[in-house]
Amino acid sequence: MAQITVLDSGTYYHHRTIHEERYRAHFDEIVYIRDLPRTDLSDHDLVLVSCRTDPSQLIPCRAQFADYLAGGGTVVAMGSTGQPSWLDGVVWHDTPTNFWWWKEGGSLGLETVAPGHPLFSHITLEDATWHHHGHFDVPEGATSLIDVAGTGSVLYDDRDTTPGRMIVTALDPMYHHGSHFMPATTRFLDGFLPWLRTL
Amino acid sequence: MASCLFLKPIKGAGGDLPDISGFVADLEQIDHYALAEVDLSRYRALLVPAHLDQRFFGTLTQKITRFLDGGGTLVFNGHVAWPMLPEFRPFEVLPKVTLETLEVHRLAEHPVFAGVEAHDLTYRRGVAGFYARGHNPPPAGAVALNGLGPERVPCDWVYERPDGGRILMHAGNDLWMYAGASDSSARIVPQLCRWAAGED
Repeated sequence: MAQITVLDSGTYYHHRTIHEERYRAHFDEIVYIRDLPRTDLSDHDLVLVSCRTDPSQLIPCRAQFADYLAGGGTVVAMGSTGQPSWLDGVVWHDTPTNFWWWKEGGSLGLETVAPGHPLFSHITLEDATWHHHGHFDVPEGATSLIDVAGTGSVLYDDRDTTPGRMIVTALDPMYHHGSHFMPATTRFLDGFLPWLRTL
Repeated sequence: MASCLFLKPIKGAGGDLPDISGFVADLEQIDHYALAEVDLSRYRALLVPAHLDQRFFGTLTQKITRFLDGGGTLVFNGHVAWPMLPEFRPFEVLPKVTLETLEVHRLAEHPVFAGVEAHDLTYRRGVAGFYARGHNPPPAGAVALNGLGPERVPCDWVYERPDGGRILMHAGNDLWMYAGASDSSARIVPQLCRWAAGED
Protein backbone atom coordinates (compact mmCIF):
# COMPACT_ATOMS: atom_id res chain seq x y z
CA MET A 1 0.00 0.00 0.00
CA ALA A 2 1.52 3.28 -1.10
CA GLN A 3 2.19 5.97 1.45
CA ILE A 4 0.84 9.18 -0.05
CA THR A 5 2.56 12.54 0.23
CA VAL A 6 0.43 15.44 -0.97
CA LEU A 7 1.43 19.01 -1.84
CA ASP A 8 -0.61 21.78 -0.22
CA SER A 9 -0.59 25.26 -1.80
CA GLY A 10 -2.31 26.92 1.14
CA THR A 11 -5.46 27.65 -0.87
CA TYR A 12 -8.92 27.23 0.61
CA TYR A 13 -9.68 24.41 -1.84
CA HIS A 14 -6.54 22.48 -0.94
CA HIS A 15 -7.46 22.98 2.71
CA ARG A 16 -10.88 21.44 2.20
CA THR A 17 -9.61 18.56 0.07
CA ILE A 18 -6.48 17.73 2.04
CA HIS A 19 -7.08 18.78 5.65
CA GLU A 20 -10.80 18.21 6.13
CA GLU A 21 -12.07 14.89 7.39
CA ARG A 22 -13.45 13.35 4.17
CA TYR A 23 -10.04 12.54 2.66
CA ARG A 24 -7.63 13.27 5.50
CA ALA A 25 -6.83 9.59 6.16
CA HIS A 26 -5.63 9.18 2.55
CA PHE A 27 -2.67 11.47 3.12
CA ASP A 28 0.28 10.27 5.20
CA GLU A 29 2.28 13.43 4.81
CA ILE A 30 1.32 16.93 3.78
CA VAL A 31 4.06 19.14 2.37
CA TYR A 32 3.39 22.85 2.08
CA ILE A 33 4.45 23.85 -1.41
CA ARG A 34 7.02 26.39 -0.27
CA ASP A 35 8.70 23.70 1.84
CA LEU A 36 9.09 21.36 -1.14
CA PRO A 37 12.62 22.47 -2.12
CA ARG A 38 13.80 21.49 1.38
CA THR A 39 11.98 18.15 1.39
CA ASP A 40 13.85 14.94 0.70
CA LEU A 41 11.49 12.96 -1.51
CA SER A 42 13.65 9.86 -1.71
CA ASP A 43 11.88 7.98 1.08
CA HIS A 44 8.36 8.80 -0.18
CA ASP A 45 6.35 6.21 -2.16
CA LEU A 46 4.09 8.56 -4.02
CA VAL A 47 3.94 12.33 -4.40
CA LEU A 48 0.56 13.79 -5.31
CA VAL A 49 0.94 17.19 -6.93
CA SER A 50 -2.43 18.78 -6.22
CA CYS A 51 -4.31 20.41 -9.07
CA ARG A 52 -3.74 24.15 -9.46
CA THR A 53 -0.37 24.03 -7.74
CA ASP A 54 1.43 27.11 -9.05
CA PRO A 55 4.00 26.08 -11.69
CA SER A 56 6.27 28.88 -10.48
CA GLN A 57 6.77 26.87 -7.28
CA LEU A 58 7.27 23.57 -9.12
CA ILE A 59 9.69 24.69 -11.83
CA PRO A 60 12.59 25.22 -9.37
CA CYS A 61 12.00 21.60 -8.24
CA ARG A 62 12.29 20.10 -11.74
CA ALA A 63 15.58 18.32 -10.99
CA GLN A 64 14.19 17.14 -7.66
CA PHE A 65 11.27 15.44 -9.43
CA ALA A 66 13.59 13.98 -12.10
CA ASP A 67 15.87 12.51 -9.42
CA TYR A 68 12.90 11.14 -7.52
CA LEU A 69 11.54 9.42 -10.65
CA ALA A 70 15.00 8.14 -11.53
CA GLY A 71 15.02 6.52 -8.10
CA GLY A 72 11.74 4.73 -8.79
CA GLY A 73 9.29 7.16 -7.21
CA THR A 74 5.71 7.77 -8.32
CA VAL A 75 4.51 11.27 -9.24
CA VAL A 76 0.80 11.91 -9.66
CA ALA A 77 0.52 15.21 -11.49
CA MET A 78 -2.97 16.67 -11.37
CA GLY A 79 -4.46 19.24 -13.76
CA SER A 80 -3.61 22.90 -14.18
CA THR A 81 -0.11 22.56 -12.79
CA GLY A 82 1.73 23.25 -16.05
CA GLN A 83 3.29 19.76 -16.05
CA PRO A 84 5.63 20.19 -19.07
CA SER A 85 7.45 22.97 -17.24
CA TRP A 86 8.55 20.75 -14.34
CA LEU A 87 8.11 17.13 -15.45
CA ASP A 88 10.29 15.57 -18.15
CA GLY A 89 8.67 14.07 -21.22
CA VAL A 90 5.22 15.65 -20.88
CA VAL A 91 3.66 17.29 -23.96
CA TRP A 92 0.52 19.38 -23.51
CA HIS A 93 -1.88 21.09 -25.91
CA ASP A 94 -4.17 23.88 -24.71
CA THR A 95 -7.71 23.76 -26.05
CA PRO A 96 -10.72 26.00 -25.40
CA THR A 97 -12.62 24.81 -22.34
CA ASN A 98 -16.22 23.74 -22.75
CA PHE A 99 -17.71 24.53 -19.34
CA TRP A 100 -21.28 24.34 -20.56
CA TRP A 101 -21.68 21.02 -22.42
CA TRP A 102 -24.01 19.71 -19.69
CA LYS A 103 -26.40 22.60 -20.25
CA GLU A 104 -26.06 23.43 -23.90
CA GLY A 105 -25.96 19.91 -25.31
CA GLY A 106 -23.18 17.87 -26.82
CA SER A 107 -20.48 16.13 -24.85
CA LEU A 108 -16.84 16.51 -23.90
CA GLY A 109 -15.93 13.56 -26.09
CA LEU A 110 -14.16 11.68 -23.30
CA GLU A 111 -13.71 7.95 -23.74
CA THR A 112 -12.25 5.16 -21.69
CA VAL A 113 -9.21 3.80 -23.48
CA ALA A 114 -8.21 1.03 -21.09
CA PRO A 115 -11.46 -0.18 -19.49
CA GLY A 116 -9.63 -3.09 -17.83
CA HIS A 117 -7.28 -0.77 -15.94
CA PRO A 118 -7.66 -1.12 -12.16
CA LEU A 119 -8.60 2.57 -11.83
CA PHE A 120 -11.95 1.77 -13.42
CA SER A 121 -12.90 -0.53 -10.60
CA HIS A 122 -12.79 2.67 -8.47
CA ILE A 123 -14.31 5.32 -10.79
CA THR A 124 -16.55 5.48 -13.84
CA LEU A 125 -16.03 7.65 -16.89
CA GLU A 126 -18.92 9.82 -15.67
CA ASP A 127 -17.00 10.50 -12.45
CA ALA A 128 -14.18 11.93 -14.59
CA THR A 129 -16.44 14.08 -16.72
CA TRP A 130 -16.68 17.81 -15.91
CA HIS A 131 -14.26 19.80 -18.10
CA HIS A 132 -10.64 19.99 -19.10
CA HIS A 133 -8.42 22.72 -20.44
CA GLY A 134 -6.49 20.70 -23.03
CA HIS A 135 -4.91 17.30 -23.55
CA PHE A 136 -1.58 15.46 -23.53
CA ASP A 137 0.29 13.45 -26.09
CA VAL A 138 0.70 9.90 -24.79
CA PRO A 139 4.41 9.08 -24.46
CA GLU A 140 5.78 5.96 -26.16
CA GLY A 141 5.04 3.00 -23.91
CA ALA A 142 2.57 4.84 -21.67
CA THR A 143 -1.09 3.87 -21.30
CA SER A 144 -3.83 6.41 -21.78
CA LEU A 145 -6.75 5.73 -19.47
CA ILE A 146 -9.07 8.48 -20.69
CA ASP A 147 -8.84 10.17 -24.09
CA VAL A 148 -10.52 13.11 -25.70
CA ALA A 149 -11.68 11.22 -28.76
CA GLY A 150 -9.28 11.58 -31.63
CA THR A 151 -6.97 14.15 -30.03
CA GLY A 152 -5.04 13.02 -26.95
CA SER A 153 -5.23 11.97 -23.34
CA VAL A 154 -6.59 13.65 -20.22
CA LEU A 155 -5.27 10.88 -17.96
CA TYR A 156 -2.36 8.55 -18.62
CA ASP A 157 -0.11 6.17 -16.76
CA ASP A 158 3.56 6.22 -17.76
CA ARG A 159 5.93 3.57 -16.41
CA ASP A 160 8.23 3.75 -19.42
CA THR A 161 9.73 7.22 -19.67
CA THR A 162 11.52 6.97 -16.31
CA PRO A 163 12.40 4.17 -13.87
CA GLY A 164 9.56 5.55 -11.76
CA ARG A 165 5.91 6.09 -12.58
CA MET A 166 4.10 9.20 -13.73
CA ILE A 167 0.32 9.46 -13.61
CA VAL A 168 -0.52 12.64 -15.46
CA THR A 169 -3.95 14.20 -15.80
CA ALA A 170 -5.64 17.32 -17.08
CA LEU A 171 -8.38 16.95 -14.47
CA ASP A 172 -8.66 19.31 -11.51
CA PRO A 173 -10.98 17.63 -8.97
CA MET A 174 -9.24 18.93 -5.84
CA TYR A 175 -10.00 22.51 -6.86
CA HIS A 176 -13.68 21.91 -7.60
CA HIS A 177 -14.37 19.56 -4.69
CA GLY A 178 -12.57 22.07 -2.48
CA SER A 179 -14.86 24.81 -3.76
CA HIS A 180 -18.01 22.81 -2.90
CA PHE A 181 -18.68 22.68 -6.61
CA MET A 182 -19.44 19.96 -9.13
CA PRO A 183 -20.37 16.64 -7.46
CA ALA A 184 -18.57 14.57 -10.13
CA THR A 185 -15.26 15.86 -8.78
CA THR A 186 -16.09 14.52 -5.33
CA ARG A 187 -17.06 11.13 -6.79
CA PHE A 188 -13.78 11.13 -8.72
CA LEU A 189 -11.74 11.69 -5.55
CA ASP A 190 -13.84 9.11 -3.66
CA GLY A 191 -12.46 6.51 -6.09
CA PHE A 192 -9.15 7.97 -7.24
CA LEU A 193 -7.57 8.42 -3.81
CA PRO A 194 -8.28 4.83 -2.66
CA TRP A 195 -6.85 3.64 -6.00
CA LEU A 196 -3.63 5.62 -5.39
CA ARG A 197 -3.33 3.72 -2.11
CA THR A 198 -3.16 0.44 -4.05
CA LEU A 199 -0.16 1.50 -6.15
CA MET B 1 1.13 55.64 -9.05
CA ALA B 2 -2.06 53.61 -8.86
CA SER B 3 -4.40 53.50 -5.88
CA CYS B 4 -5.30 49.82 -6.04
CA LEU B 5 -2.84 46.97 -5.74
CA PHE B 6 -4.09 43.69 -7.18
CA LEU B 7 -2.40 40.53 -6.05
CA LYS B 8 -2.13 38.10 -8.94
CA PRO B 9 -3.54 34.64 -8.20
CA ILE B 10 -1.45 31.57 -7.82
CA LYS B 11 -2.31 29.81 -10.97
CA GLY B 12 -1.85 26.63 -12.86
CA ALA B 13 -1.62 26.52 -16.61
CA GLY B 14 -4.81 27.11 -18.53
CA GLY B 15 -5.28 30.87 -18.27
CA ASP B 16 -8.92 30.67 -17.22
CA LEU B 17 -8.61 33.21 -14.42
CA PRO B 18 -9.88 36.74 -14.91
CA ASP B 19 -7.62 39.60 -15.95
CA ILE B 20 -9.00 43.01 -15.02
CA SER B 21 -6.19 45.06 -16.50
CA GLY B 22 -8.28 46.14 -19.51
CA PHE B 23 -11.21 47.30 -17.41
CA VAL B 24 -9.77 49.76 -14.91
CA ALA B 25 -6.80 52.08 -15.15
CA ASP B 26 -6.09 52.85 -11.50
CA LEU B 27 -4.34 49.64 -10.59
CA GLU B 28 -1.04 47.88 -10.35
CA GLN B 29 -0.59 44.12 -10.27
CA ILE B 30 2.13 42.14 -8.54
CA ASP B 31 3.05 38.49 -8.51
CA HIS B 32 1.53 36.48 -5.70
CA TYR B 33 4.57 36.00 -3.49
CA ALA B 34 5.87 39.54 -4.09
CA LEU B 35 3.35 40.67 -1.47
CA ALA B 36 5.92 39.87 1.22
CA GLU B 37 8.24 42.59 -0.08
CA VAL B 38 5.94 45.29 -1.46
CA ASP B 39 5.52 48.59 0.40
CA LEU B 40 1.77 48.73 1.04
CA SER B 41 1.87 52.30 2.33
CA ARG B 42 2.05 53.39 -1.31
CA TYR B 43 -1.47 52.09 -1.99
CA ARG B 44 -4.98 52.84 -0.76
CA ALA B 45 -6.33 49.36 -1.40
CA LEU B 46 -5.13 45.79 -1.59
CA LEU B 47 -7.29 43.35 -3.55
CA VAL B 48 -6.54 39.66 -3.09
CA PRO B 49 -7.79 36.79 -5.25
CA ALA B 50 -9.65 33.63 -4.28
CA HIS B 51 -6.67 31.64 -5.59
CA LEU B 52 -4.70 32.78 -2.55
CA ASP B 53 -1.98 30.93 -0.68
CA GLN B 54 -3.59 31.60 2.69
CA ARG B 55 -0.72 29.97 4.57
CA PHE B 56 1.55 32.58 2.97
CA PHE B 57 -0.94 35.42 3.52
CA GLY B 58 -1.21 34.31 7.14
CA THR B 59 2.50 35.01 7.63
CA LEU B 60 1.81 38.66 6.75
CA THR B 61 -0.81 39.38 9.42
CA GLN B 62 1.22 42.20 11.01
CA LYS B 63 1.91 43.82 7.66
CA ILE B 64 -1.75 43.70 6.59
CA THR B 65 -2.91 44.94 10.00
CA ARG B 66 -0.52 47.90 9.79
CA PHE B 67 -1.86 48.67 6.32
CA LEU B 68 -5.43 48.61 7.64
CA ASP B 69 -4.53 50.65 10.73
CA GLY B 70 -3.18 53.27 8.36
CA GLY B 71 -6.56 53.56 6.67
CA GLY B 72 -6.10 51.02 3.89
CA THR B 73 -8.85 48.98 2.27
CA LEU B 74 -8.62 45.21 1.91
CA VAL B 75 -10.85 43.38 -0.58
CA PHE B 76 -10.89 39.63 0.10
CA ASN B 77 -12.37 36.93 -2.14
CA GLY B 78 -12.76 33.24 -1.36
CA HIS B 79 -13.33 30.95 1.57
CA VAL B 80 -11.42 31.60 4.78
CA ALA B 81 -9.57 28.39 5.64
CA TRP B 82 -6.35 29.35 7.45
CA PRO B 83 -5.66 31.90 10.19
CA MET B 84 -4.97 35.25 8.51
CA LEU B 85 -6.55 38.23 10.27
CA PRO B 86 -8.36 38.54 13.61
CA GLU B 87 -11.44 39.78 11.73
CA PHE B 88 -11.72 36.52 9.78
CA ARG B 89 -13.53 33.35 10.77
CA PRO B 90 -13.58 30.06 8.83
CA PHE B 91 -15.96 29.61 5.92
CA GLU B 92 -19.28 27.96 6.62
CA VAL B 93 -20.89 26.17 3.69
CA LEU B 94 -24.67 26.30 3.17
CA PRO B 95 -26.14 23.23 4.88
CA LYS B 96 -28.41 22.67 1.89
CA VAL B 97 -27.96 23.74 -1.73
CA THR B 98 -31.17 24.52 -3.60
CA LEU B 99 -32.21 27.27 -5.99
CA GLU B 100 -33.85 28.97 -3.02
CA THR B 101 -30.82 28.84 -0.70
CA LEU B 102 -28.46 29.98 -3.50
CA GLU B 103 -30.52 33.06 -4.38
CA VAL B 104 -28.65 36.31 -3.77
CA HIS B 105 -30.48 39.12 -1.95
CA ARG B 106 -29.34 42.72 -1.52
CA LEU B 107 -29.24 43.50 2.18
CA ALA B 108 -27.80 47.02 2.15
CA GLU B 109 -27.03 49.52 -0.57
CA HIS B 110 -23.35 50.01 -1.25
CA PRO B 111 -21.37 51.81 -4.00
CA VAL B 112 -19.72 48.56 -5.15
CA PHE B 113 -23.09 46.98 -5.96
CA ALA B 114 -24.99 50.12 -7.08
CA GLY B 115 -27.17 49.25 -10.06
CA VAL B 116 -26.23 45.56 -9.91
CA GLU B 117 -29.33 43.37 -10.01
CA ALA B 118 -29.25 40.57 -7.43
CA HIS B 119 -30.72 38.35 -10.14
CA ASP B 120 -27.56 38.84 -12.22
CA LEU B 121 -25.49 37.63 -9.26
CA THR B 122 -27.70 34.63 -8.60
CA TYR B 123 -27.64 33.36 -12.17
CA ARG B 124 -24.86 32.88 -14.66
CA ARG B 125 -26.15 31.62 -18.00
CA GLY B 126 -29.29 30.66 -16.14
CA VAL B 127 -27.43 28.56 -13.56
CA ALA B 128 -27.36 29.42 -9.85
CA GLY B 129 -24.49 28.74 -7.46
CA PHE B 130 -21.52 30.50 -8.98
CA TYR B 131 -21.70 33.57 -6.78
CA ALA B 132 -21.39 32.03 -3.33
CA ARG B 133 -22.12 28.77 -1.53
CA GLY B 134 -21.75 29.91 2.03
CA HIS B 135 -20.17 32.69 4.02
CA ASN B 136 -17.21 33.81 6.05
CA PRO B 137 -18.91 34.88 9.30
CA PRO B 138 -18.57 38.63 9.79
CA PRO B 139 -17.20 40.33 12.89
CA ALA B 140 -19.61 42.24 15.12
CA GLY B 141 -20.24 45.63 13.62
CA ALA B 142 -19.83 44.56 9.98
CA VAL B 143 -22.58 45.49 7.52
CA ALA B 144 -24.01 42.64 5.47
CA LEU B 145 -24.32 43.66 1.80
CA ASN B 146 -25.58 40.54 0.04
CA GLY B 147 -27.14 37.46 1.58
CA LEU B 148 -28.03 33.98 0.38
CA GLY B 149 -31.41 32.31 0.58
CA PRO B 150 -34.21 32.68 3.13
CA GLU B 151 -31.65 32.96 5.94
CA ARG B 152 -29.91 35.84 4.13
CA VAL B 153 -26.54 34.26 4.89
CA PRO B 154 -24.11 37.20 4.59
CA CYS B 155 -21.82 36.16 1.75
CA ASP B 156 -20.68 39.78 1.28
CA TRP B 157 -19.99 42.24 4.04
CA VAL B 158 -18.04 45.39 4.71
CA TYR B 159 -16.35 46.18 8.01
CA GLU B 160 -15.09 49.56 9.13
CA ARG B 161 -12.42 48.64 11.64
CA PRO B 162 -12.36 50.56 14.93
CA ASP B 163 -8.58 50.87 14.51
CA GLY B 164 -8.90 52.19 10.97
CA GLY B 165 -9.22 50.77 7.51
CA ARG B 166 -11.95 48.76 5.83
CA ILE B 167 -12.44 45.15 4.81
CA LEU B 168 -14.77 44.12 1.99
CA MET B 169 -15.43 40.39 2.13
CA HIS B 170 -16.81 38.25 -0.69
CA ALA B 171 -17.10 34.52 0.10
CA GLY B 172 -16.89 33.37 -3.49
CA ASN B 173 -14.87 33.51 -6.63
CA ASP B 174 -13.16 36.78 -7.54
CA LEU B 175 -15.55 39.70 -7.87
CA TRP B 176 -13.48 40.73 -10.88
CA MET B 177 -14.62 37.69 -12.81
CA TYR B 178 -17.60 39.91 -13.69
CA ALA B 179 -15.39 42.28 -15.67
CA GLY B 180 -16.93 42.73 -19.09
CA ALA B 181 -20.11 40.81 -18.24
CA SER B 182 -23.08 41.41 -20.51
CA ASP B 183 -25.49 42.24 -17.67
CA SER B 184 -25.58 44.60 -14.69
CA SER B 185 -22.83 42.65 -12.89
CA ALA B 186 -20.36 44.37 -15.25
CA ARG B 187 -20.76 47.44 -12.99
CA ILE B 188 -18.98 45.71 -10.10
CA VAL B 189 -15.36 45.98 -11.25
CA PRO B 190 -15.19 49.72 -12.02
CA GLN B 191 -17.33 50.51 -8.96
CA LEU B 192 -15.19 48.27 -6.77
CA CYS B 193 -12.00 49.98 -7.89
CA ARG B 194 -13.43 53.47 -7.40
CA TRP B 195 -14.70 52.59 -3.93
CA ALA B 196 -11.47 50.84 -2.94
CA ALA B 197 -9.51 53.89 -4.09
CA GLY B 198 -11.63 56.05 -1.79
CA GLU B 199 -13.40 57.92 -4.56
CA ASP B 200 -16.97 57.14 -3.46
